[in-house]
Amino acid sequence: MAAPIENFDNIYLDLSKENGKCRFAENGLGWKPAGGGDAFTLDQSNIGGAQWSRAAKGYEVKILQRNSGITQLDGFQQEDYERLSKIFKNWYSTNLENKEHSLRGWNWGKAEFGKAELSFNVQNRPSFEIPYSEISNTNLAGRNEIAVEFAVGDAAKANGHNGARGSKGKKATAGKDQLVEMRFYIPGTTTRKEAEGGDA
Amino acid sequence: DQNGEEIKKFKRFESYKRDNQFPPKVRDMGIVIDPKNATIVLPVMGRPVPFHINTIKNASKSDEGEWSFLRINFLSPGQGVGRKDDQPFEDASAHFVRSLTFRSTDGDRYAEIANQLSNLKRDAVKKEQEKKDMED
Repeated sequence: MAAPIENFDNIYLDLSKENGKCRFAENGLGWKPAGGGDAFTLDQSNIGGAQWSRAAKGYEVKILQRNSGITQLDGFQQEDYERLSKIFKNWYSTNLENKEHSLRGWNWGKAEFGKAELSFNVQNRPSFEIPYSEISNTNLAGRNEIAVEFAVGDAAKANGHNGARGSKGKKATAGKDQLVEMRFYIPGTTTRKEAEGGDA
Repeated sequence: DQNGEEIKKFKRFESYKRDNQFPPKVRDMGIVIDPKNATIVLPVMGRPVPFHINTIKNASKSDEGEWSFLRINFLSPGQGVGRKDDQPFEDASAHFVRSLTFRSTDGDRYAEIANQLSNLKRDAVKKEQEKKDMED
């Protein structure tokens, strides 16, 4: 008897330009670009956690790998949640956590550092996350100001990529608008009085 | 306050209540301006992230070789233009996103976005002022 397999079409792997077919089996999952090309596979033993969120193309399954890598699969339908939740529970003993993101439109919250990514939370809901693998450099740009630079090579000029890629990311350059830098204001222990006193 | 100016108060605002309110164009993972909801949606690692116009300070476009850059500056504490920083914040001890910079080879688009954003900002400020005048 053939092993059970669950298929999903029109899925985007790690912000790929091209969609592909995603299939889940007991021993892990795979993704293959619709137009042919290298497949991506992930063994079930490397699945450390999974989250369900709204993303750009549709709904996203984000897989937190045990080796700290992050895999993003975008393009699922809202009604796929039940099916996927069962797949993760029964085959990978993992809870597909429903992670609602903040839609408030606020730029203030709390930057929290997880195992594999930085999460900017607004009222205890993530507003966005940045995998550490995307960061090329950080520096103190001013008083209480931190600049985070992203790995954008000139190779990314094609504005997007095709097919499966290595886990070392170039997610910042995947879209037509490539994120190159983000700055945060992090209040320090310096009091306002001290800070202003410095100018006197 | 001591200069006889009126102390500005922070007023809460919200871009969206549900994720089905995003403009359909967020699919393309590009910057989307949503005037109806006074919001700009920015793509961050594959996720559409809304920022309400009230969080925006300004936007500027620059060019470097074949690339164009769009820098969006947000309001955050400690950036007062004068000696006094009178911008109100709900929680000045929070962490703030202070700026996001994107690049693209389509400079005309960035000029257009910067322009739309400043119009949206101007309209929001005007509306706020009108509301205040009505209250007085």
